[in-house]
Amino acid sequence: MDATKPKRRRKRHHTATEIDEQLFVSHFINLQLHFVINKDELNLLVIVMDVNPIWWGQQAQREPEFTLSKCLDAVMVMGNSHMAMTTTNRLAVISSHFQDSHFLYPCKNWTGGDGAWDGTMDEAPYCGDGKYELLSVANNVVAEEMKRVMSTTEMKGNSTDTLLAGSLAKALCCILLKIVTFFSAGQEMKSRILVIKTAEDCARQYMNFMNVIFAAQKQNILIDACVLDSDSGLLQQACDITGGLYLKIPQKIALAQYLLWVFLPDLEQRPQLVLPPPVHVDYRAACFCHRNLIEIGYVCSVCLSIFCNFSPICTTCETAFKIQLPQMMKSKKKKLKQSI
Amino acid sequence: MAVYVKDLIRISHNWVDTHTCDVTTRGWILRLLINITASVVYPPLDDSCPSTTMASLSEEVLLVLKKVRQRKQDGTLYLMAERIAWGPEGKDRFTVSHLYSDIRCQKISPDGKAKIQLQLVLHTGESSTFHFSNDSSALTDREAAKDLLQQLLPKFKKKANKELEEKNRMLQEDPVLFQLYKDLVVSQVISAEEFWANRMSTTNTENTLSDKKQDVGISAAFLADIRPQTDGCNGLRYNLTPDIIESIFRTYPAVQQKYGENVPHNLTEKEFWTRFFQSHYFHRDRISTGALDIFSECAKQDEKGLKSMVVQGVKNPLVNLLSLEDKTIEEGYGFSAAASTSNPNRTGKENSNSAIIKRFNHHSAMILAAGSRRGDAPNDQASETSSTDGNSRDSDLFQPPIKKVKLQEAIDYLDLQREDGPKTVALNLKKSDRYAHGPVPLESQKYTTSQDIINSITCIRHEMANYVPNLAQVLTSSAVSSAIAALSPGGVLMQTGTQQAINQMVPSEVQGELKHLYIAAGELLRHFWTCFPVNSPFLEEKVVKMRSNLERFQMTKLRPFQEKVQRQYLSANITGHLEEMLQTAYNKLHAWQTRRMMRKI
Repeated sequence: MDATKPKRRRKRHHTATEIDEQLFVSHFINLQLHFVINKDELNLLVIVMDVNPIWWGQQAQREPEFTLSKCLDAVMVMGNSHMAMTTTNRLAVISSHFQDSHFLYPCKNWTGGDGAWDGTMDEAPYCGDGKYELLSVANNVVAEEMKRVMSTTEMKGNSTDTLLAGSLAKALCCILLKIVTFFSAGQEMKSRILVIKTAEDCARQYMNFMNVIFAAQKQNILIDACVLDSDSGLLQQACDITGGLYLKIPQKIALAQYLLWVFLPDLEQRPQLVLPPPVHVDYRAACFCHRNLIEIGYVCSVCLSIFCNFSPICTTCETAFKIQLPQMMKSKKKKLKQSI
Repeated sequence: MAVYVKDLIRISHNWVDTHTCDVTTRGWILRLLINITASVVYPPLDDSCPSTTMASLSEEVLLVLKKVRQRKQDGTLYLMAERIAWGPEGKDRFTVSHLYSDIRCQKISPDGKAKIQLQLVLHTGESSTFHFSNDSSALTDREAAKDLLQQLLPKFKKKANKELEEKNRMLQEDPVLFQLYKDLVVSQVISAEEFWANRMSTTNTENTLSDKKQDVGISAAFLADIRPQTDGCNGLRYNLTPDIIESIFRTYPAVQQKYGENVPHNLTEKEFWTRFFQSHYFHRDRISTGALDIFSECAKQDEKGLKSMVVQGVKNPLVNLLSLEDKTIEEGYGFSAAASTSNPNRTGKENSNSAIIKRFNHHSAMILAAGSRRGDAPNDQASETSSTDGNSRDSDLFQPPIKKVKLQEAIDYLDLQREDGPKTVALNLKKSDRYAHGPVPLESQKYTTSQDIINSITCIRHEMANYVPNLAQVLTSSAVSSAIAALSPGGVLMQTGTQQAINQMVPSEVQGELKHLYIAAGELLRHFWTCFPVNSPFLEEKVVKMRSNLERFQMTKLRPFQEKVQRQYLSANITGHLEEMLQTAYNKLHAWQTRRMMRKI
């Protein structure tokens, strides 16, 4: 907050918890009103932002004109646009860090613009430009939360990988909770997840990732992906399976434009627009021995593990195999153990 | 073969007119017929005259009938070893000749008519009528002709006709197959035998299933269906068809017995049935009046049968018929003690009621038993139901096993039985974390030093601490315009989308033609590729022949289509894939041929 501007005096009649309660309650009231007035279905957009400080820090040194601040601005623009489209649009923002995943918006820990809320503060957030209050509140909350996340960053363990699978899981939980809540009120809800990815894929999260993808597919939740740096095979698969859009953008500084052009329209509007065509997804499996992507390989019939070369014993389940050698190798017949 | 072709053309035209529409199908039907009937080649005749001459026939003549008219012309009918022919009076040649294998059936005019005629119906639907006009021997002539044909026709009913019908049926049922046939066989790309080679094997299995027939049961109302009609003057007229008579005999073997005894020795059939209907046996109130009625014995037999049925009881030990009796609580709840059935002074009405009920029960039981008896009464010792018809059979021998089976069925529950699944081997995984690793190469991660990490984190922290959202300065117009350019059609990000869907490029007729081309090409390529690996000389020949077929297909069908499309819809390359497939086939054949050459050398 700028110290030179005069502070507005307002009657203080809310505590911190009451504010966010009121936020949620107002949302609910909105919903009830909508339920009575119009039965438009809700549209929930969950933006999962990859805020890996290591990558962003290096990015700040590589390309100072596009840093985390700019990226956050672009995401805020996207979020505001989404909420401004219709009153039944909802937004959630999750930051994906290497230590945890955190809900930037909506958040219970909103403390206002001036630091800790100690009950004596007597002013409400001030945006000064006459913006729709919901949008300004959202922006402020996101900014505050991001600052807090970054200030509490510590390098404890060895892992520098973004916990993307976990963030997606959290997003799914949020969506499902909303679905359950609104379903009981008779409201339908459509939702999608937009992933803004910067760092590289982590191979260790593969299983969780795939589970999340299939869960999203089952619930008809789209996963869109906007990739800033290097192509991510997992996200390509996610988009292909759930029906979302995958885009690797050539210019980072125009991120907001790409987001608005490609990812703002929802599922019903997309077929009517000319959007980037789907990418060719590499579905090749990786062999268990070298992790090379192979097209033709050997699969153990007992444990289904994939190998690029034939070996008489499967290293995963220790089953012995006999294989018919081709005709010309008759002279070099090897003695193979009988299979169990 | 000139006469054959002419006949066939005429026949095919007639058939086509009744069945299909356009000119191209006439051509292929003609070819189809030629293929089939080529096996019944007749010795080649003199091409100059339009019909066969009698002198050049070397066939054996079985029957000659004079004074047979055809189409209001007098002439002579000749029945020979393989064909039937008719020539006009005084002329030297046949104007009408049909092979026996072409004739589907013969028909004769009814007995009472003045004109004595014989009609031959061919497979194609055409028919020829011959009128026997010899005053004295017309009927015998016709009978002679009919009998001879009856003997000869079955011999010539070749399987080829059946196959022809089968093929026609298949072509008519499946329009895709029909189109494929038109594309390939009619345009001479492949021969008809090759076309049918793979398809006919599937049809033979279907015919065997339809041979089993079911026996027709007896209608429960068959006696009631014989509704008497008043004859005008106080008489009743009953219409008895053989079906009804058969039903009566099957249901009441006693009546059949009587019939066997009395007809035709004592009574005519008519009299027997008259007596039957008059007898009280048939009527409702079966009170036996006298012994004069031949059916009074039947009544007694029936009584006996009914009693024995009741004595036997029900086979199924789990069915308790006695529980179906009227259960009453007390007097006054719909039950009156005075009307007990064991009262010996039964009124006449009650007697007749019980008699009717008895008759109904007996009638139903007889029908059920007749249905399962299936006509061979003496051999039915082993069937369970044969003993329920009341006739004395030794049924006690068979009761215990059946009872056992029923009891066993009732206490067997599938779920409660012990599960004896197949023995399985337990899965023993040593390195199960391999499954959790994604398809990401192991060494692809960039190596960052710890110093880098610390630097990055401090940098970010510093940046974020001073962060203020500045949403008005998010984009510059140059960045935006380049982004929009990249996202517009033709831009950097939209490159792969230029492969437009075919339904946006060409109209639906062209798409349909392309579809037909694909089906035809697929069929040819399937023939080609099934030749590999080439193991026999037959396959070697076939593979070379298929290559020439493919080339022919490419020349006659693919190229013109492509040119047409390119003329009208520029830069639309919709046949590229087809060309690719054909080229792959050619390459494969070339490779195989070179390898063979190398081996020989």
